Amino acid sequence: MGKAVYKVEGGKMIRVQLTERGGRIQEVKITGDFFLHPEELIEDLEEALVGQPLRESDLVDSIRRLVEERGATLLGASPRDFARCVLMAGGSGGVG
Amino acid sequence: MDTGVRDAFYNMALDEALVTARARGLVANTVRFFRWGPSAVSIGYFQSMEEEVDTAACDERGVDYVRRVTGGGAVYHDTEGELTYSLMIGEDHRLVSRDIQGTYRTLCSALVHGLGLLGIPAEFKPINDIVVGGRKISGNAQTRRMGVVHQHGTVLREVDPALMFRLLRVPSEKVRDKLIQAVEERVTSINRYSAREVSLEELKAALKQGFDEAFHVRLIPGEPTEFEKSLAARLKAEKYATGEWNLRR
Repeated sequence: MGKAVYKVEGGKMIRVQLTERGGRIQEVKITGDFFLHPEELIEDLEEALVGQPLRESDLVDSIRRLVEERGATLLGASPRDFARCVLMAGGSGGVG
Repeated sequence: MDTGVRDAFYNMALDEALVTARARGLVANTVRFFRWGPSAVSIGYFQSMEEEVDTAACDERGVDYVRRVTGGGAVYHDTEGELTYSLMIGEDHRLVSRDIQGTYRTLCSALVHGLGLLGIPAEFKPINDIVVGGRKISGNAQTRRMGVVHQHGTVLREVDPALMFRLLRVPSEKVRDKLIQAVEERVTSINRYSAREVSLEELKAALKQGFDEAFHVRLIPGEPTEFEKSLAARLKAEKYATGEWNLRR
């Protein structure tokens, strides 16, 4: 299992715990002191990432899409920050 | 209303009960002041209790720990060292907009005004802080449920970073001193800034006046209703005092 901590410049702290298999996310938990409205979306977001390749563009797209579809608001962190922390926990800067 | 000193689980349960009562139209918009006894650590909705809080150190000192319904970071609520407020306000109210960041600024303006009445030239600092001379004196967190904006926050009267970092997890002993020093530099308190003892009563009176004047309202002293009290008791037992809630992330 990989772990990472990422401090957003001028923002909040993100922590990720991740299990990967063959370059794809098997399980992921995102914690931290950011704000996401509505809060319960975090669990859907974690689920949506399962099966995704550890590639920044794919991760950013799926996080952004979910946030937009649900009319959600992220404060103190962006979809890209989440994606970066996930990649760090995956043990690399990612591919692509 | 002022609900005095209560334990962490009841405090968070009563907040949710007040939101529910407001959402059902049973009560008007509410401002609540409260304190925490025993002293307690609250963590943000998205935080991991295990990662953030040294629960063994808390247990040793009789400090409670609870998860909030709001995001944001871990906060140490000292019984004497801080005053907490919460407010429950319909989303259709003139003070509320869809813009969450903007609503923070508007709602925090009452606290900024109240601190000004104590001679403390505070200002709002995005995302969710109030600072004086660049140092944090208040942290705030907001959520929206059932058509109600629920914001709570803490105003520091005294601050003890060394104690705080005994209760919160730190990466290592070496880092602990650095973190303590950083908080010493970045955080202040009413007593420290004013260089005098400001009582909790005086602070509460100033904040109440801050709400009245900044929002052009008159807060009417009140008590939780029977509905709110019994719902709070149930929410404490079934949610906020449970490991299922507090350790869920």
